[in-house]
Amino acid sequence: MRLDHEFTVPAPIGEVWQAVVDPERVAPCMPGATLTKVEGDRFSGTVKVKLGPISLLYKGNGEFLEKDEKAHKVTIKASGKDSRGAGTAAATVTLTLTEADGGTHGTVATDLAITGKPAQFGRGLISEVGGKILDTFAGCLSGKLAPAEAAAPVAEPAAEPVPDRAGPAAEPTATAEPVAKPQPAVKPAPTTAEINTEPKAKPAADRPALHSVPAPPETEAIDLLDYAGQSVLKRLAPVLIAVAAVAGLVAIVRALRK
Amino acid sequence: MIPAPFDYVRPSTVDEAVQALAAAGEDAKVLAGGQSLLPVLRMRLAAPTTLVDLGRVAELRGVREDGDTLVIGAMTTHYDVQRDALVAEHAALLKGATDTVADPQIRHRGTLGGAIAHADPAGDLLAPVLALDASLVVAGPSGRRTVPAADFFRDLFTTALAPDELLVEIRIPKHTGWRAHYEKFNRVTQAWSMVAVAVTVRTEAGVIEEARVALTNMGSTPVRASGVESALVGVQASADSIAAAASHAAEGTNPPVDGNADVEYRRHLAKVLTGRAIAAAAGA
Amino acid sequence: MTATIEPEVGKSRRRKEDERLITGRTRWTDNITLPGLLHMAILRSPFAHAKIVSIDTSAAKSASGVIAVYTAQDLDPDGAIGMPCAWPITPEMKAPRRPVLAAGTVNFAGEGVAVVVARSSAEAHDALEEIDVEYDELPVILDLEAAIADGAPLVHEDLGTNTSAVWKFDSAEAGTGGNVEDAISSSEVVLKRRFRQQRLVPAFMEPRACVVDPTSTQITMWSATQVPHILRVMSALTLGIPEHKLRVIAPDVGGGFGGKIGVLPEEMMSLLVAQKLGKPVKWNETRSETMLAAHHGRDQIQDITISATRDGRVTGLKVELLANLGAYNGLVGPGVPILGAFMFNAIYKIPAYHFACTNVYTTTTLTDAYRGAGRPEATFAIERIMDELAVELGVDPLELREKNWIKHEEFPFTTVCGLTYDSGNYEAATEKAKQLFDYDGLRAEQEKRRASKDKVQLGIGISTFTEMCGLAPSRVLGSLDMGAGGWEYASIRMLPTGKVEVTTGASAHGQGHETAWSQIVADQLGVAFEDVEILHGDTQSSHKGLDTYGSRSLVVGGIAIVKAAEKVVAKAKPIAAHLLECAEDDLEFAGGKFTVKGTGTSTTMGDVALATFFAHNLPDGVEPSLDSDATFDPENFSFPHGTHLCAAEVDTETGRIKLRSYVCVDDVGVAVNPLIVEGQVHGGLAQGIAQALFEGTEHDESGTLTTGTFADYLLPSAADLPSFTTDRTETPSTTNPLGAKGVGEAGTIASTPAVVNAVIDAVRPFGVNDIEMPLTPMRVWHAIQHGTTDAGGPGRDEAGGGLGSIDATGGAQ
Repeated sequence: MRLDHEFTVPAPIGEVWQAVVDPERVAPCMPGATLTKVEGDRFSGTVKVKLGPISLLYKGNGEFLEKDEKAHKVTIKASGKDSRGAGTAAATVTLTLTEADGGTHGTVATDLAITGKPAQFGRGLISEVGGKILDTFAGCLSGKLAPAEAAAPVAEPAAEPVPDRAGPAAEPTATAEPVAKPQPAVKPAPTTAEINTEPKAKPAADRPALHSVPAPPETEAIDLLDYAGQSVLKRLAPVLIAVAAVAGLVAIVRALRK
Repeated sequence: MIPAPFDYVRPSTVDEAVQALAAAGEDAKVLAGGQSLLPVLRMRLAAPTTLVDLGRVAELRGVREDGDTLVIGAMTTHYDVQRDALVAEHAALLKGATDTVADPQIRHRGTLGGAIAHADPAGDLLAPVLALDASLVVAGPSGRRTVPAADFFRDLFTTALAPDELLVEIRIPKHTGWRAHYEKFNRVTQAWSMVAVAVTVRTEAGVIEEARVALTNMGSTPVRASGVESALVGVQASADSIAAAASHAAEGTNPPVDGNADVEYRRHLAKVLTGRAIAAAAGA
Repeated sequence: MTATIEPEVGKSRRRKEDERLITGRTRWTDNITLPGLLHMAILRSPFAHAKIVSIDTSAAKSASGVIAVYTAQDLDPDGAIGMPCAWPITPEMKAPRRPVLAAGTVNFAGEGVAVVVARSSAEAHDALEEIDVEYDELPVILDLEAAIADGAPLVHEDLGTNTSAVWKFDSAEAGTGGNVEDAISSSEVVLKRRFRQQRLVPAFMEPRACVVDPTSTQITMWSATQVPHILRVMSALTLGIPEHKLRVIAPDVGGGFGGKIGVLPEEMMSLLVAQKLGKPVKWNETRSETMLAAHHGRDQIQDITISATRDGRVTGLKVELLANLGAYNGLVGPGVPILGAFMFNAIYKIPAYHFACTNVYTTTTLTDAYRGAGRPEATFAIERIMDELAVELGVDPLELREKNWIKHEEFPFTTVCGLTYDSGNYEAATEKAKQLFDYDGLRAEQEKRRASKDKVQLGIGISTFTEMCGLAPSRVLGSLDMGAGGWEYASIRMLPTGKVEVTTGASAHGQGHETAWSQIVADQLGVAFEDVEILHGDTQSSHKGLDTYGSRSLVVGGIAIVKAAEKVVAKAKPIAAHLLECAEDDLEFAGGKFTVKGTGTSTTMGDVALATFFAHNLPDGVEPSLDSDATFDPENFSFPHGTHLCAAEVDTETGRIKLRSYVCVDDVGVAVNPLIVEGQVHGGLAQGIAQALFEGTEHDESGTLTTGTFADYLLPSAADLPSFTTDRTETPSTTNPLGAKGVGEAGTIASTPAVVNAVIDAVRPFGVNDIEMPLTPMRVWHAIQHGTTDAGGPGRDEAGGGLGSIDATGGAQ
């Protein structure tokens, strides 16, 4: 299925371009994603997808197929298999940047194909959930690509906090790759009101749980909240639906009795 | 097929349950009635490391009064909700909606709390709970807190519950004497709602004094049709006045698309079904 | 010995088999356990079309409880085994090899790639998760028209095309009628319509299973199959197992509907694995697996042209079909649309007829027989277009049908397809149906509702059908290149104590043969109904037969029983005469007794049986046995018919359809057991109505079946269906001694167009002349809103959907 998103970032196109061609900055934007290896234009990792009771772990790899600096267009292809054989997921994402009013406007065109159980056990809401995942991706991208002073200190990747259960725009519960640590005690999830007024520097426990390869990347940690106001996310109408995506999960869950 | 192996804990109190959940870690799941969870496990779309079974936590079952509030334990089955005299008297909308859930076998096992925590937008109990201005009492390692229904349902299958928290009670302000109707539209009997409308009204001499209207499956969460509610206040229930009010039903909604209904059709259904639900509730 | 006083045939007896079936006091295939039984689980491809780059089974092999993990390399290294197709419809038919496990390429999502054998089912399934397969995706081919277009990607490279075969019938060429092109070009009225037969899942209640025990002198295979005899022969041919060393048993089987006619890769796999390991193995499937891996039904695009005179006489009918085979040929898959070829003309006298069907491969689950197999598709097309023609001509649809149908006095009638219908009375069935239905009353109500623009509109749908069943005269099958005959076998054994054992080659999976056959034998031999035991399903005891499908068991298998019984009586007569010391000609046989004419002296069949057993006093040259068998080859198909009338209310505000009433008067000739007939009709109606309103597969653009559970693949329950009013007329068949006609598929064949016609009739004032099946509320509502033809495709934003394949253009916009 085809999904389209847009974002705007108050940063010059050159800077944004540098960011989008860097796997270590882009890949982690996928909710629940963890990079395990980066080699030039290729990367491997996992994406853990949780929605309601369903939990799948896709392992796979991707590469930057195309980096056209002149046209400011980058195409990333990624595919993975569920670790328990529930099926596969593949996405081809094309990011195109253009200058806009002193900042940069980006379009994200995604071709997403999900096979196996998530697709088989339900349909419907694919565009919804697929869209939400891409919402998060695009939102995160715009967050990452904004000027660097934004990033606030984050706790060690290992101590993963509860995913932010923000308002309607929140993604399906996506947690980072578990690093076998005991679950820390967690504060109650903030209500909508709290979310909107959250200051930039927040205690680690409230951070959305997305991180990449260990090491310094504190500066690259995504803080959606910081940039929620600055990026403009629009989701263009999905063109084709078919089934697929983690969205199928919804349908599966839909298929369940209470 | 058979689920992947898991550890199993069966606490007898809420405190034990909260501790068990915390101890079990991030890949644990709470087992309430199991009507949604077990099929997922059987299809191997999830493999939780531990199931924390609330089936023996007696304090989570039952319906009681607390002054002006009806309090329903999260593990109260749909069957018990259907038959409870207090629910019938003070939250008729909930009974009406519960009557439409699945089939008798499932209603014997499924629980109100489980359905609410599961938060399937097509589930029939979310809209009534929202319409009745219920509050959800949640227990976690740092104690209990109360979340209004309006803040509880966050997204598809996503609620205000943190992974280490349990829903323990549903507190519903008494709507004694209010009339109610749950209008459900589906393709085959016992299937989920394509769209459904929960209406409860307080009428006096044929005039609607107060109205609560909430929609099932018109978004990622249940939705209050506030446009309809305000259009009904002070209105003498008649075919025309109801139609006028119902025309607001789809306002502000972002309905999902699936094989049974596209956006246009869902919006249309919402209006038609809202009209029918109001007519049935208000007796017009 | 009790003599039967009133005939058994015609009695609405409760079925003998039901007590054990309903209370679960039986063993289904999955209940069978054997010492040392191993369990198989199959890893299936998530991709609809891909090259298999590598399969790493090493981790799986060392998983707990795992005995072995096999791929095609292990089970069939030479790539020599191909699943059989018994019906190559043309000599030029292109067919790929269907391997037991995918070899090199997977061609549909759900195709088996590897098999794990373990000590328990759970361990086998756990180990599936350890198998790592690398795939290279290939283009997915889902749409029928796209598949046959120039330059389309191929499902099977080695075939060079996606077209498997083209089969034609032309009445002018066959000499059975006129030239259809001439008829069309010279007629005053010509109508063309395109109809879509959506793909269905047979959805039998018991998922498939099989157990193979290689440990004794014969290899024994239990399988939840409709076709144990065919399975035996085909397994022997496919795997080279000596046929006499193979025993196949179909225990009680929980429904088939054609979906269990097959020789399965899973069955072949079980045989191979069991032999390899020397241990018994079991394979079974869950519902989610069967939705994907068991064959689907229907799936055709039909282009129909009908020509007529202005005053309503049909002059020609042209049928062009595109039929979706799926990725492979099933056992009889290619022939299914062909079975319908002779039924488009239905009950009508159509002077010129042309039929052409193109069978096409796509990267989907294969299609094969499903209740009606070709005939529902045909009946749908003709009954729908007759309604369209009636609207075009401005005449009542029942009158139009009556004008064109074969009159009662005209039977036997040879149709434009060359089939001879032996008997029928369309007038009587229709008259009765109209009365029961209150046809005139409902038409009046329809008018009122239209005039007042009632929010709930009423429609009346008609389906006057016939069908060809009782498969089949063997010569006809030969002429159609079907790789089997159509006879059936029965044997009757007279036990010394007067009880009777009957073996039948029919293989019941819910039809109630044990009861009906007992009734027949009770009448024929004059024994008590309870004293008859019917043996079936085990090739060791009921060793000969061609199994059950195509509504054949009674009209072929039942006749074999009659013939065998006649032989028993013929053998008994000389012995009885000898015992009674009279001449054979002095004896009459009735009510189970041989009586000397004009006297009270008699001896019972039981007495004769006992005397035969002792053999102390038999006439010279007579074998001490009454046991007899018969193999019966029918001389013709049987042609049940009926008139079905459906009243449908359409809520124009929501598009929801409510079937207010459904009346059918069916003529199945003489009914052996009217209760069973009614049950068959009810079940058939449910499935036919389900196709009209509820069922239909959907695939996404990756070729994944997205209606993979009953949450999305909707089956109606009794709560969704009206109470049926069923009745019968009885016009005996002239081609068999019982006068019976088949009934198993009739309800399904007739009902789908009755329902669709009713809904279209209700909303025609809105400018609608077709809605694609299944008629969901959304489709109906969109049709009403947009008043277009072919309205209400799948959800507006959605591709594929009801076509069971992707139609990028969606429904009509």
